[in-house]
Amino acid sequence: MVTLIVNKQELQVDEGKTLLQVCLDNGIYIPNLCHIHGTDNPSASCRLCFVEIEGEDKPIPSCTVKVKDGIIAKTDTPSVRRLQRTAFKLLMSVHRVDCGHCPANKKCELQRIAKFLKVGLKPKYLELRLKETEVDESHPFLDYYPNRCVLCGKCIAVCKDKHGRAFLTFAKRGLDTVVSSYGETDANLPCSKCFACIRICPVGAITSKDSPRQT
Amino acid sequence: MSPLNNETVQKAFGVIRDEAKRRRDAFREEPVPKIQIGMATCGIASGALETKNAFEEVLAERKIKAHIRTVGCIGHCYAEPVVIMDHPESGFPPIFYHNVTPGKAKMLAKSFLEDGDPLFEHVLGAMEENDLVPQVLDFPRFNQEKRVVLEKCGCVDPEDIYEYIADGGYETLAKTLQLAPNEIIEEVQESGLRGRGGAGFPTGRKWDLARNADGQHKTVICNADEGDPGAYMDRTLLESNPHQVLEGMAICAYAVGAQKAIVYVRAEYPLAVKIVTKAIGQARELGLLGEGVLGSSFDLEIDVFQGSGAFVCGEETALIQSIEGNRGMPRHRPPYPVQQGLGGQPTVINNVKTLASIPPIIEHGATWFRAIGTEESPGTAIFSVVGNVVHAGLVEIPMGVTLRTLIFDICGGVPNKKKFKAVQIGGPSGGCLPEEFLDTPIDFDSLIQAGAMMGSGGMVVMDEDTCMVDVSRYFLDFTQKESCGKCTFCRIGTHHLLNTLERITKGEGRDGDLDQLETLSEDIKNGSLCGLGKTAPNPVLTSLRYFRDEYEAHVKERRCPARMCRTLTAFYIDLDKCARGCDACVGSCPVEAIFTTKNRKKGVDQSLCVKCGECMVACPAEYDAVMKVSPPDLAPVVD
Amino acid sequence: MIQENSLEEEKLILDDIASRLKAFGREREELIPILQMIQERHAYIAEDAIKMAAEYLGIAICEVYGVATFYNQFRFHPPGKNHIKVCLGTACHVRGGDIILENFERKLEIRDGETTPDREFSIERVACVGCCALAPVSVVNETVQGHMAPSKVEGLILGFKIEKEKAEREKKKSEPAQ
Repeated sequence: MVTLIVNKQELQVDEGKTLLQVCLDNGIYIPNLCHIHGTDNPSASCRLCFVEIEGEDKPIPSCTVKVKDGIIAKTDTPSVRRLQRTAFKLLMSVHRVDCGHCPANKKCELQRIAKFLKVGLKPKYLELRLKETEVDESHPFLDYYPNRCVLCGKCIAVCKDKHGRAFLTFAKRGLDTVVSSYGETDANLPCSKCFACIRICPVGAITSKDSPRQT
Repeated sequence: MSPLNNETVQKAFGVIRDEAKRRRDAFREEPVPKIQIGMATCGIASGALETKNAFEEVLAERKIKAHIRTVGCIGHCYAEPVVIMDHPESGFPPIFYHNVTPGKAKMLAKSFLEDGDPLFEHVLGAMEENDLVPQVLDFPRFNQEKRVVLEKCGCVDPEDIYEYIADGGYETLAKTLQLAPNEIIEEVQESGLRGRGGAGFPTGRKWDLARNADGQHKTVICNADEGDPGAYMDRTLLESNPHQVLEGMAICAYAVGAQKAIVYVRAEYPLAVKIVTKAIGQARELGLLGEGVLGSSFDLEIDVFQGSGAFVCGEETALIQSIEGNRGMPRHRPPYPVQQGLGGQPTVINNVKTLASIPPIIEHGATWFRAIGTEESPGTAIFSVVGNVVHAGLVEIPMGVTLRTLIFDICGGVPNKKKFKAVQIGGPSGGCLPEEFLDTPIDFDSLIQAGAMMGSGGMVVMDEDTCMVDVSRYFLDFTQKESCGKCTFCRIGTHHLLNTLERITKGEGRDGDLDQLETLSEDIKNGSLCGLGKTAPNPVLTSLRYFRDEYEAHVKERRCPARMCRTLTAFYIDLDKCARGCDACVGSCPVEAIFTTKNRKKGVDQSLCVKCGECMVACPAEYDAVMKVSPPDLAPVVD
Repeated sequence: MIQENSLEEEKLILDDIASRLKAFGREREELIPILQMIQERHAYIAEDAIKMAAEYLGIAICEVYGVATFYNQFRFHPPGKNHIKVCLGTACHVRGGDIILENFERKLEIRDGETTPDREFSIERVACVGCCALAPVSVVNETVQGHMAPSKVEGLILGFKIEKEKAEREKKKSEPAQ
């Protein structure tokens, strides 16, 4: 057991967990998109779960911090919020905001984070930049919406975890990065029954071809 | 290592060294003239291959006896192709010739080798002290340099391991194998050597961490993924003297306890790949690599891995990902590669220049190395000084030399009587420093303080005709394309920076753009996952700091002060200066935008003009009638 | 539309890849070297080649695709017979590399990353070929051309066209008259 202080609240927790996990377990919400419960190798890619830790000069993503005795952390300082809001606005500047037609509406992490950070879903100063392809229908059982996807990579991780190999991958690079199922056209894919990727998606970027189409 | 082992190593190396010396002496003593041609990529690009062919032809044709020897790059890229001719019978010392075209080559062979006339008009200088020809070593381009890493570049044939050995090469490896690994690490720590890849982490400490890390299969990686656009010293080093790098790798592997090493070279450097691969083969053949190096119990295999074109793979964790056959996306550190690297095993990743610094350090000792450079940054720095500069090329100087000395004294300053404006140091992660910073000493910490960084050593000199906003746009365009796409700030943030800069260079800047550039830059710097993202905004931040007025001219006046941003400039022909009868500009225009009116006036059709500037070059100097203005509406209309 | 390879050509390519794959191990680390081999032999990586690599290494096709699309080096369409790389490194940029690129694009009527319909030429922009002292630089079929200028662009293209015509004429001459 280790003892740490988050937002002046003393927590006694098991060793080995990440600070983000510990906070979430104790009802302290920190915005996050790419965090997977129980993983040892954080992707640390969404850049939302920043916290300030005493002794460090800059906010750091709490998913990369293993808890240890004596950590004093704050989750709501101005510099933490500034980075979180910028990261969120950046994500929304490449996002098709069309919640009414999205299956994730009302349970979407982006909506939750917007509310929590008190920012709108449409970024004011950043020009919207969407990908040309609105939906990739090449997979036999799934549809993928690049302009909804936040590239958290949880679908890829869960797929690998369930099936020993991933039927999904990141493809291309930089701003063009997408999740792709290139070449996976076999009708015997486990995807017809699994749907783990759909369940874990924090937005509504992957949908099943069988479910009523929501576009 | 037991004394018995030491004896074995000494004996094994002695045999190799004697053979190398025998070969060298035989070559030297043969009474024929020797022609030495620089054949690294720059040389070849400047026509060294054609020059070599011309020499071969003329020698065969006129039955002149002479040896042609190819070497790597001596760093004087402005003078390529370079040829050194040694003709002792003529009474002249070995002579350094510059810009030797095939025609010149034939001329030189005939007049120097046959008639003994060295053709002074083509001579750059002599390679030795003498009474007849000034010595190149006395020229500022030579005498202020201090060559530690590049010492043998351009002097030895990179494809012949014996030349390196005859020149003292691999002697240090033999010495190393007779010492304990921790003695080597202590010496490197003592030398104060800092990583030459850019960040300047103490090399000895890295090695020490790796030595003490748990793991049976440690690896040493030589990082030659030189992606910084404007830097090419790693390529030159590998092409010109690969064995010094391999020797450094072997010493490192011995010190940290690795049996495997990898040279990670960009696939864009085919010649370097070829030469290093050949060098590894030669070293293995002589027992300097492989099982039981020089008869000792130390095994080492070195492989070459070709990077496939991703700037981000210069970052350690991304580099490892790509060797493992994955997308080269960096991961969060710690754990650092010295703890968990390739295959989860401790891995030392050092830059080419760092590793090439090792043999001289072990050979001459830490105190010798510390005496070069400054207290905090001992040793030398290698820069590729390019852009608007007279003597472009590679320069190795002691740390602590000022930018002014490097750019003006050593490299001859800015050509064409233009004014110096800024120097960009450190590539996409670095910054642009204005004239006020010319007296900054070049070392890791001073450059960071000024807002730039050592980076990989790319140095681009810019004259008054270079637009600083456009340079920022250029770098952001680069980093934005090269972002791996993993983390939000770098993936999307750099896109917005670029987008805003593009608007500004097109004259579509808006109020508030500059502030937004600054805030977003700060956030990207603080929020990104890896070094690429964290440093990507540096070009914007430094140019905003030092050249804000230029940004403002673009946004507020739709004017590019350097007249470089093409949407904001226009060409016209000054009819007072134009000689009417000459049609040079008309002929030079690739898009037929220049027209002649009935009374022989020349006009530029602005809707066709692509602003390439060919007409400006074509217009005879005595008229100098082509004008360039910004904003474009300053150009008079001719009909 | 760009002419695609004929089926026959395609089959030859795949046979060649299959025979060369045997020289590689089956570890994941071999993936990038395998892709490099495919591109070196055939100038691009065809869809079927991706499948072959995946099968050989026993990994998902999409994994291979994901890795291949990450790196600048790999192409997925056949380039032209004459492949032109225009360097846009810093030194080349300062000395007008973008103007050289534009000239190639204008003369050949294609954009960077494209191939002419007759598959004679293709253009690619590259970040830095490391010949900065000779800026601006282009690499035409592995030959580095230093100190480029718009007029040199024209000359280079003209040279290739003349050579091609010459070769065609020779070919006609050597063929017996029908």
